[in-house]
Amino acid sequence: MNRFAFAQPRTFQEAATMLADKRFSLPVLKGGGIDLVDHLKEGLTEPDVVINVRRLRPGWATAGSPQITESGGLIRIEAGTTLADIAASEIIRAKAPVLAQAVEYAASPQVRNVATAAGNLLQRPRCWYYRHRQTECLKKGGMKCFAVDGENKYHAIFGDGPCFIVHPSNLAPALTICDGVAHVIGGKREQIPLAELYHLPARDVRSENTLEPGEVVTHLTCSPAPVSGFYAVKEKQSFDWPLVAASVWMRLDGARISEARVCAGAVAPVPWLLPRVDGALRGVSVDDDAGLRRACAVAVEGARPLADNKYKLALLPVAIRRAVLIAAGKPQATEVDA
Amino acid sequence: MLDHTPSDMPTTNRPANAGSSLNDSASRLDGPAKVTGAAKYGRDMHLPGALYIAFVRCPYGAATLDSFDEDAARAVPGVVEVEVRGKEGKFHGQTLGRIVAESPMAGKRALRALRCRWTRKAVRTSIADSVDALPEPSDRASSALDGAELKLEAVYTTPVQPHSCLETHGGAVEWKGDKAMVYASTQGTNAAREGLDKHLNLPQSSVEVVCEYVGGGFGSKLGGPSKELQAAAAAAGKYKRSAYGFSNRSEEQIDTGMRPSSQTLARVAFTKDGTITGGEIHTWGGVGVARGGGGCNVRAGRYKLGIKKAGHEDVGHNGGGPMPARAPSFPQGAFAEELLVDEIAFACGMDPLALKRKLVGQDVYREMFDLGAKMIGWEKRKATGSQTGTVRIGYGIGTASWHSASPGGEAAVVVHQDGSVEALTGTQDPGTGTRTTMGIAAASSLGVPLDLVAVRIGRSGLPRGPASGGSSVTPMIAPTMMDAAEHAKEQILEIVATAAGAPDARAFDIVDGVITRDGKRHMAWADACRRLPAEGITARNRGRAANGKGGNEGVQFVKLSVDAETGVVHPLHVVAIQSCGRVIFRKGAESQVIGAVIQGLSNALFERQVFDRNVGTVLNDNLEAYKILGPYDMPHIEPVLWTHGQTGVRGIGEPPLVATSGAVACAVFNAVGAPVRDLPMTPDRVLGALAGKGGRS
Repeated sequence: MNRFAFAQPRTFQEAATMLADKRFSLPVLKGGGIDLVDHLKEGLTEPDVVINVRRLRPGWATAGSPQITESGGLIRIEAGTTLADIAASEIIRAKAPVLAQAVEYAASPQVRNVATAAGNLLQRPRCWYYRHRQTECLKKGGMKCFAVDGENKYHAIFGDGPCFIVHPSNLAPALTICDGVAHVIGGKREQIPLAELYHLPARDVRSENTLEPGEVVTHLTCSPAPVSGFYAVKEKQSFDWPLVAASVWMRLDGARISEARVCAGAVAPVPWLLPRVDGALRGVSVDDDAGLRRACAVAVEGARPLADNKYKLALLPVAIRRAVLIAAGKPQATEVDA
Repeated sequence: MLDHTPSDMPTTNRPANAGSSLNDSASRLDGPAKVTGAAKYGRDMHLPGALYIAFVRCPYGAATLDSFDEDAARAVPGVVEVEVRGKEGKFHGQTLGRIVAESPMAGKRALRALRCRWTRKAVRTSIADSVDALPEPSDRASSALDGAELKLEAVYTTPVQPHSCLETHGGAVEWKGDKAMVYASTQGTNAAREGLDKHLNLPQSSVEVVCEYVGGGFGSKLGGPSKELQAAAAAAGKYKRSAYGFSNRSEEQIDTGMRPSSQTLARVAFTKDGTITGGEIHTWGGVGVARGGGGCNVRAGRYKLGIKKAGHEDVGHNGGGPMPARAPSFPQGAFAEELLVDEIAFACGMDPLALKRKLVGQDVYREMFDLGAKMIGWEKRKATGSQTGTVRIGYGIGTASWHSASPGGEAAVVVHQDGSVEALTGTQDPGTGTRTTMGIAAASSLGVPLDLVAVRIGRSGLPRGPASGGSSVTPMIAPTMMDAAEHAKEQILEIVATAAGAPDARAFDIVDGVITRDGKRHMAWADACRRLPAEGITARNRGRAANGKGGNEGVQFVKLSVDAETGVVHPLHVVAIQSCGRVIFRKGAESQVIGAVIQGLSNALFERQVFDRNVGTVLNDNLEAYKILGPYDMPHIEPVLWTHGQTGVRGIGEPPLVATSGAVACAVFNAVGAPVRDLPMTPDRVLGALAGKGGRS
């Protein structure tokens, strides 16, 4: 870990000003600090100033005012809201359950008590080549992606490289299907739809998001998604990243899906929208198991797995179907056959 | 999320082992110190003015160090010494030099300033990389297989699994001018001292090792002083200052020893009733850069297969060498053996329990099978491959054998005038509960409550105790401690008898802290102790320690679920029956069994050191990517301490680990109808087995 200054701005505007301050060569923002500390320990980033935005609130907020609010038909989540608070929020659980479900089993209770909404969206990938201090991969300015012909079990099946990370956030795909918007200051833009917050490696392999230098996320908004669900397949049920994850938003006409939006996690360098599945689900009854399977199978069309991650092709349709059933409030097809 | 918690499962871990031990109710004496942080481990010993060691290590599986800038590293503020000794790295983590610095940060900066430039070389990262083709069957095996009614050829593999000790390897040396205190993290307090005198340039008598607490060892902290401790001692001796040398997490995972990988090839001929008529078994061990130590004990489960073991070969790869790992060579072999027997049973259409009953050599296993089958609900087991639902339940059986040690070592018991007692022996407690076991051994033989006894272990000056290896500490030193305590008791009773004018001290006894005469209360313990000489009494063991009959057999039953759509395996219930002789410390014994089951499940389902196949770098050299079982994956575990007719003390650190991974493999096979022959049984492999129904993933 290198030496750095620790800055505590009073407002997001101050944080943005610090980010733009030319006296600093590598200022970084700290939310919960989970991912940042990992980077510092591994020597992956060596900031000269760490700017703590964790407890910053909008100017009008008073001490103790809620982190999660609803007004004008939108749900608002402050940037520094912890994952634990999102999971526990009555508003979220009732109005956008997919968000609560997405973070409920993320990481560990200790991490969820500290990790923030914005930090979760902007965390860097878990790719073990990227995370390894000794690997000069594309993302770190090197000449090759070591996963392509290396150990790629946990890597992307979509996105076509040249870097095969998967986006690690569970919250991002969930927020994407809820028309999530990141609100920023410090740049030219004020709002960035979640679907535009991330970019593929082909555009810029060194970064995962479209934030410009100096832009700071202040809060998130999204539309209610009362019929929504999340499902992740994990190797380990405690403290592990998903092998694949699916977030589903639906409109139901009785048992029939009249409209659906599906976004997959852990299969691509960005939250992976699956419009063809959206189309295939339309008109299918949530009680029609065969119909759901057919619709979800469409998910892997166009996937290009690497040598060791073909199994994700089997998992992705399953995760989507289970997320659909969760959204519809249907019991899981996991009764014990014993 | 799937809710994996079965509603009919009891939520407490309250086994029915009551009355089986010398002390059923005692909890770990050092429990509060450990959970409050008051316990100071070697790694906590950041001494004032200490120097810190940082190692120059090979970052690849094989590479030549072409150039480095020693001057730049020396110029880093706080750097005391830079030494690069080697140029050829043969595994990721191999030490090729070291930095001595005033702080950990200065050492890290110096490593970067060295700017090592490497040329990578081709690597081998697995047994498969070194074993091109499977050997042809011998003539004898061939003829048995050719004429066989049924036959099976299968290859089973287990991966490299580092010990992953929570407290990393190393030691801190406190320089005191004419002597040195060494705070070592070791499984052998006495062995850890060997050779340090030369590094420190001090007489052997002036080097004292202190090892109050050890954060796990599992075999990797056996042997002499660790490399990290030796480097610290060398720096302390050279600069006449305190010094600190401990691995960081990455170094712990890649260069402190590991359970070697294994491969087992079985070719078996058998008849439809499960009678094995011939065949052979070959095994391989993946030993990294070491020359040996890669055993794969396929007889660990004690079945009488009647097949010759055709050979074992240790093969190298570009990885760190092995260290003994909790029951070295046993779990690897038992995994292959258990699954092999279940595959034979399946081919014969037999219940594997019936075949295993037939194949075990000793009746005790059959008795354990009967108990375990009842406890796990074996009668609810469905035939292998018969389930078609999404979530399928599997049942599996594992067996284990072990060996025992005889009493040995030295112990002493000191009784003071105020009635307080010290139990002394120079062994250590690497989390096994030895401290508490020693206290109970002394207290029960002396006849006083445990809370009167202060246990002194983990110091080199104490009566010589054993290293924590081979599950030998308890069978060696507990009878010895009891011998010392009985010696103390005899001395006290002599004094009491003399004071009472009694001709024969044998009429007196100490029961629950009360002196009795002819079975009736005679005087209080405190009153008796006031009659002791001012310095109290010190009683050593007299070589009268004996150990009675006991067993080392184990049987485990595993019940689990497999999600056939995702391949996720979820352990539900484990019954772990462990023969363990006379139990001294019940909760400690249960904890050993439960801990071993947890480690075995983790080995079976999650743990695998991942080498990049092209450059040989270990990619999961941390405890995030190196996956270890966590709370949501924890089943209900019932340890059964099997003590029937046993009077001798046995060690159970290792044997309960042996059976688990094989039992899990059998249960997965039972659930999905296809064997997963490679550990760990991760979802991709389970799905692969399901897709291929018998093929390897």
